[in-house]
Amino acid sequence: MSDRLRPLLVVAAVLVLVLGVVPAVLGAFDRSYLYQVANLALIFVLLAASMHLVTGVAGLLQLGHAAFYGVGAYTAALLTTEAGLSFGWTLPLAGLGAAFVAVLVALPTMRLVSIYFAVATLGIGQMLYLVMLNWVPVTKGPNGILVTSGLTLFGYDLSRPASAYFVVAVVTLASLWVIHRLSHSYYGNALRSLREDDQCADAMGLDTVRLKIESFAVSGFFAGIAGALWAHTAGYISPADFSFPQSILILAMVVVGGLGSLPGAVIGALVLILLPEVLRPVGDFRNIIVGGVLFFSILLMPKGIIGEVSALDLVRRQLGGAWRGEGTKAGSEVGWR
Amino acid sequence: MAGTSPAMTLESVDLEDDWHEFSGFFGPNLPVAMDYYLQQLAIGLSLGMVYALMAIGFTLIFGVLNVVNFAHGEVYTIGAFTGLVVISAFAPPLIVVLLLVVAVGALAGVGLERIAFKPFRRFSDEASLKSRAMREATLMSSLAVSIVVREAVEIGFGSQFQTVPLDRLLNSPISLGPITIVSGDVIIFVVAALMLGGLQYVLKRTNVGLSIRAVSSNPLGAKYVGINTDRTIIWTFAVGSMMGAAAGILVGLYYGAIFPSMGFIPGIKAFVAMVMGGLSSIPGAVICALILGFSESIATIFVPSVWADMVAYGFLIVTLIFFPRGIFGGARDRV
Repeated sequence: MSDRLRPLLVVAAVLVLVLGVVPAVLGAFDRSYLYQVANLALIFVLLAASMHLVTGVAGLLQLGHAAFYGVGAYTAALLTTEAGLSFGWTLPLAGLGAAFVAVLVALPTMRLVSIYFAVATLGIGQMLYLVMLNWVPVTKGPNGILVTSGLTLFGYDLSRPASAYFVVAVVTLASLWVIHRLSHSYYGNALRSLREDDQCADAMGLDTVRLKIESFAVSGFFAGIAGALWAHTAGYISPADFSFPQSILILAMVVVGGLGSLPGAVIGALVLILLPEVLRPVGDFRNIIVGGVLFFSILLMPKGIIGEVSALDLVRRQLGGAWRGEGTKAGSEVGWR
Repeated sequence: MAGTSPAMTLESVDLEDDWHEFSGFFGPNLPVAMDYYLQQLAIGLSLGMVYALMAIGFTLIFGVLNVVNFAHGEVYTIGAFTGLVVISAFAPPLIVVLLLVVAVGALAGVGLERIAFKPFRRFSDEASLKSRAMREATLMSSLAVSIVVREAVEIGFGSQFQTVPLDRLLNSPISLGPITIVSGDVIIFVVAALMLGGLQYVLKRTNVGLSIRAVSSNPLGAKYVGINTDRTIIWTFAVGSMMGAAAGILVGLYYGAIFPSMGFIPGIKAFVAMVMGGLSSIPGAVICALILGFSESIATIFVPSVWADMVAYGFLIVTLIFFPRGIFGGARDRV
């Protein structure tokens, strides 16, 4: 197989799987609950991927990711119910809103290192959660917001389960593509250098603070997009969806999948969302089993399901691009283009 | 479409601040008398003492291993449930309940260390003991253990509030000059003060305490002078968890609110106190826990009690931005 063809085939296979096979299977069962599980899995794939960028690649341990997800969801829900905007507007605005909050959070906290940064994000995540829970006039507090309308695009109503699934799938795939390009590129390598040694990166001429804030903003943006998808597909949001345990769940996905590995984050998200559903017959014990899976995956696979090195290798071989060297100068054949 | 979402897998009970609803009866707009301030200060003192007991567990463990123990809140829950079981089984006096709870807490701490921390200490040199990989692995493993424990408690007892026998609640009023406090305030203060004093004695005067301090100041050096690091770490977990479990049952009997996810909010508050105190300074953590307790109970005078948690997080952010090493970070002993 030629090097040029392989990336196209891989992309085509993913597209066929997500946009063809999965909806076909879901359609065969035709239960709206299954569609909801599929949407949830895709949304968490997106959340895990966005956290992968900031925690896995840039190495900033983020313990408040669910708050940005919540900001996006509340932005989308309020724009729909109060301003009557449709999905085409709420989706980007939710992303931008979350990115804006992320930049606000990042500006004062970026000079903190390691555990201090993690603690600061935890505190800010909790503050945003408290705002969602207690700012009753705007967020309706613990009662949550019903989002019954709004999943329309160019006048088409997309709120049927099957079409909602396609919306979520397309948005998630597009976002994954962007995150893939960001984390598997020179830009991604610059972020990785921050993780390994930010003083060294600084000495090499990288603007470390700016890179950190950018990665935080991009990650917040995609978390906000995920929030908008959740608000529109679940039809109901409440603060409990964006509390600290959710942040930890997303972190667990990234860690189980492999820190710094995008395919790992995707697989980790699928495992941790789908496993409780598969285990539904076991009833009460399923969360214990999730905890057990988390524990044993850390104990037995400390690098994650797909470790960073093998993930980079995989992406490099399957999606091509780097190391090909054609059309580039002789000296620039190493690294990502 | 609406209804319970599958995304709530890690969430069991909505933590809507049952923690505070007892300290904010009067709402923000009543004329505030001096007595009321004093009363709030008394409540803040017992609240702060509870945070201090919790924060010590975090701080000891952070000092020795440089990791955050996310399962510490579950030790608190275990303490409360142990107390409840003991009380409903054979109703002993409070002091016996406390001793049993402390013993079970120590066992829980040792078990936690064996399960969630020991397997990840594959190498014992200082670099890997305090490395990032180790920290992230134990952070996640303690989290996993905490999920399992919380769910197991929920299966065993149900997720709703447990009924505490009314005569065991620590709420008989005590008049103290112009103000009225309840017996729980006094008992929490006395027990916590005794435990803090005892801890100080253990850390400064006994072999166990000296070795804990040695390991937390320099693990490799401690090894060189013949201290058994592994055993010291176990002791650290036992001591820290004793305090956490005692805090759990005291609060459980004070508020009459015992439920599987009760450990979460106090755990975060204690964590904040630890960070404010400089991550590994015990006096710092205790002082900051008291500051936290006072400011929360004072804050409920001015704002609705549901916003009181904001105080803790506000403190956290301000501390991190303006005193990144903690208020008492550099100047004091590590333990």
